[in-house]
Amino acid sequence: MLELRNLVGGYGKITILNGVSFSIPKGTITTMIGPNGAGKSTVFKAIFGLLKIESGNVLIDGQDVTRQTPRQMIAHGVTYVPQGRNIVPQLSVYHNLELGGVTAPDQDKVKQRIETVMDQFPMLREFRNRKAVELSGGQQKQLEVARALLLDPKLILIDEPSIGLSPVLVQEVFKTLIRLRDQGVTILMVEQNAKAALAMSDYGIVLELGQTRMHDKASNLLVDPRVGQLFLGGHVEEASPADAH
Amino acid sequence: MSQFLQVLLSGLATGSIYALAAIGFALVWQAAQTVNFAQGEFVMVPAFFVLIGMGFFGMPFWLALAFGLALSMLVLGYAFKKLIVEPILPHGGITLIIATMALAILLKETVKESYSAEAQPFPALFSNAPMNFFGAAVSIQDILNLIVSLSIVVVLTLFLNRTRTGRSMQAAAQNPAVAEILGVNVKRMVLYTFLINAALASLAAFLITPVYLAKFSNGETIGLIAFIAAIVGGFNQIRGALVGGLLIGVLDNLTATYVTAQYRAALPLVLLIMIILVRPQGIMGTSEGRSV
Repeated sequence: MLELRNLVGGYGKITILNGVSFSIPKGTITTMIGPNGAGKSTVFKAIFGLLKIESGNVLIDGQDVTRQTPRQMIAHGVTYVPQGRNIVPQLSVYHNLELGGVTAPDQDKVKQRIETVMDQFPMLREFRNRKAVELSGGQQKQLEVARALLLDPKLILIDEPSIGLSPVLVQEVFKTLIRLRDQGVTILMVEQNAKAALAMSDYGIVLELGQTRMHDKASNLLVDPRVGQLFLGGHVEEASPADAH
Repeated sequence: MSQFLQVLLSGLATGSIYALAAIGFALVWQAAQTVNFAQGEFVMVPAFFVLIGMGFFGMPFWLALAFGLALSMLVLGYAFKKLIVEPILPHGGITLIIATMALAILLKETVKESYSAEAQPFPALFSNAPMNFFGAAVSIQDILNLIVSLSIVVVLTLFLNRTRTGRSMQAAAQNPAVAEILGVNVKRMVLYTFLINAALASLAAFLITPVYLAKFSNGETIGLIAFIAAIVGGFNQIRGALVGGLLIGVLDNLTATYVTAQYRAALPLVLLIMIILVRPQGIMGTSEGRSV
């Protein structure tokens, strides 16, 4: 569904990604883990057209979408939920949702989708006229996820969905992601809470120094001692080429 | 009572025109996080565009107004953004503020040297004849200036809140990073903001110049009062700029009539100091966040 081929890129003259390659199948959850500075969030920005790609390719369903703009990526069915607060604070919940469909040519359809999405997130219907800034952190994250669903995406890139949320709300967000996966949506996630994220994922990718070190079933990565070693401050010593596929 | 009503309405009329220029300060602040100290000159220049349209091209007044509006949007909106804001903003907000101060001097001196240093008569949009308003003799011009200015603010507010483009402009102002990932064309939204600012400044010019006459130095007074109005009302809110403009217009007239005309120029500054001491975010402003 999504394939990265030897992606090299970064910010200005600073190269962060030094050849990231992996592919993820349709209708799965894949969690990308790695130490701080590994380039996890940068991968998302590179895919979504928010930073300079020096070389390599991004493919969606076999189609080359390298260096496309965010607007074009949305048209390809990709949405991106960055880490942190991603709301328009002074607009209402309803109008924040509406912005998720701002690129759609058929705005009547967007209105219908807002109703569907609010059915999935009843809290948003309750607070539809409230300013987004007045929601709690967990509610704002739900608003972001709901907004990302507005154009019925094929692929969701979601960065650190658990940051700032209580354990109960983290479980709520994870349940939402599993439900979306079951509906056929592909999810690529970055998550600091690696154990919990891998436990609910189908696949896992370990990124280090801007390169793919490991790529395997999430259940295998969970019990791999090299993953533990990586998160204890070391680095992956014995990653074989077969690991990075 | 009739004198009070007369003074009040006249103050509201002038204040509503200040508000148009003050809203421009708020809009540019939202879009570029900078203060445009050439805003007063942005209100002075369109009047001369109209005079050029009438004098050099022989246009009738109403066509010259349309010409002045279009040329202002091109020069004070599009060119200002492309030639000054975009190249200088990456070097920092302070650098851009200094650049707008230089622009103010450039515009003022250009008009003075290339057109005239003398005040020029400017045709009035509305009759200055008095009318009876609940016993008070109020000029039709004042009433219509007030109605037109408030209508412009209402239309602008409806545009920003009720249209998809307006809400996209708000998103681009409040959280440009999020707006971009949602597919909003942030650069275009910022350009719209600058075009609207130029249009507001032009409309303020067309309403106030018949009273002040067209003079190269008009921007100094209007710019200062509009800047103070924006701060008093709340720099990050359109409705704040409106309230600030109306308040200054009314207080200025009331002070001149009932206290003294000698220190009327000091009044906005006294108000500014009081507001900064008591409520630094302004009457309607919020201490954080950006919204249009």
